[in-house]
Amino acid sequence: MSHVSSAIRWYIVLAVTYLGFAMLLPANKAAVHNYHLSSAGYHSLLLAILLPYIGIWFAAFYGAAKLHDYAELIKETPEGLGFTLIAKGFQWLAWGLPVPALISLWLNSIANAHPGFLPSALIISNYINVVVALVAFHLVGQGTRDLTTLTKSRLSTTEARTILLVFLTLGVAFCFFIFRHLNLHSLGSTSNPYYLPAWVLIPTLIIPYLYAWFTGLLAAYEIILYGRHVSGVFYRQALSLLASGMTSVIASLIFVQYVRSVAPRAGHLSLNTTLLFINITFIFMAIGFVLMSFAASKLKRIEEV
Amino acid sequence: MAASETPLYDRVVRVTHVYLGPAADRFIARQVQNHLHKAPESLSEKDLLRLVDWVRVAVSLITEDKEIVEEYVSKLRQLATEHTQNSEG
Repeated sequence: MSHVSSAIRWYIVLAVTYLGFAMLLPANKAAVHNYHLSSAGYHSLLLAILLPYIGIWFAAFYGAAKLHDYAELIKETPEGLGFTLIAKGFQWLAWGLPVPALISLWLNSIANAHPGFLPSALIISNYINVVVALVAFHLVGQGTRDLTTLTKSRLSTTEARTILLVFLTLGVAFCFFIFRHLNLHSLGSTSNPYYLPAWVLIPTLIIPYLYAWFTGLLAAYEIILYGRHVSGVFYRQALSLLASGMTSVIASLIFVQYVRSVAPRAGHLSLNTTLLFINITFIFMAIGFVLMSFAASKLKRIEEV
Repeated sequence: MAASETPLYDRVVRVTHVYLGPAADRFIARQVQNHLHKAPESLSEKDLLRLVDWVRVAVSLITEDKEIVEEYVSKLRQLATEHTQNSEG
């Protein structure tokens, strides 16, 4: 069975499970109260919000599987290891969309019945997302580093300084927004939207997220760099498409994780500007995955004809 | 790779590298094995024009840019001519 058909089977299982639970689990009391909804109204609204996500998961699973197919085809070549690591990283990113969503759905439904569980539900959801970002961006970063080593391309001083400046701006703003929610007079206080004391939150969530994003940004730049330095007109055309797709996916994911961290999860459906921003960003992510699948098909064709 | 011991094969790969980058060696080896039914290292000047025809067909499946395809094919043909002249000389 090819990676694509296997990925599509898993996608169907996850999508049906997710939609099934979302429709069958009782309506969230807080959301029903906030938006004056009936149970049927709540589930209809939830379905309208979730359906586009389900479409985006398909793009992610398909794009990652296409890249995996290509990596498998060239695994014995010098570029094989780099592309295999990148493909694994994007598989983590693709699975990192439905699996944490499904776990959050279950945890939030428990919290809906037992309100005392809400802090645990939010803490677990936050940690699952940071682990996915760390593993995925680490793998992609290792892969792009491997490819740039082959072409002996390294960042120039100006490029390194620009990336550092972007990252510092992103990081300082991130800390500012997070710290606004914390009680900085008492580092042990858990009365904040993350339900964690600052001394736990900083080393186990803030620093890992910043590290993952830096690795992701660097990986996006390195794949562009590889595309610029590698030879081959047709190969470079396909690679530039791949680099655009990867950059779009990485940047969108960083933005979504950023927004979800600075505007902490409520544990229930919230119709606000954060949701709007996240949905718009998800469209860019889907476009990125589609570009990746086109690029992987082009690269695969070069190896097959 | 043993093929690199054949100068003609090397020159074909070198030209192809400009268009297919790291995939060039694998691409030419595949064309020789699948269409000429030979080991890449035994590519001879007599095979070159047939190889060019197969390369044109294969590359046309990769891109629709006929101009680049023609440029690539003419470079390979030029190689065939140069090789024949060198052998005669």
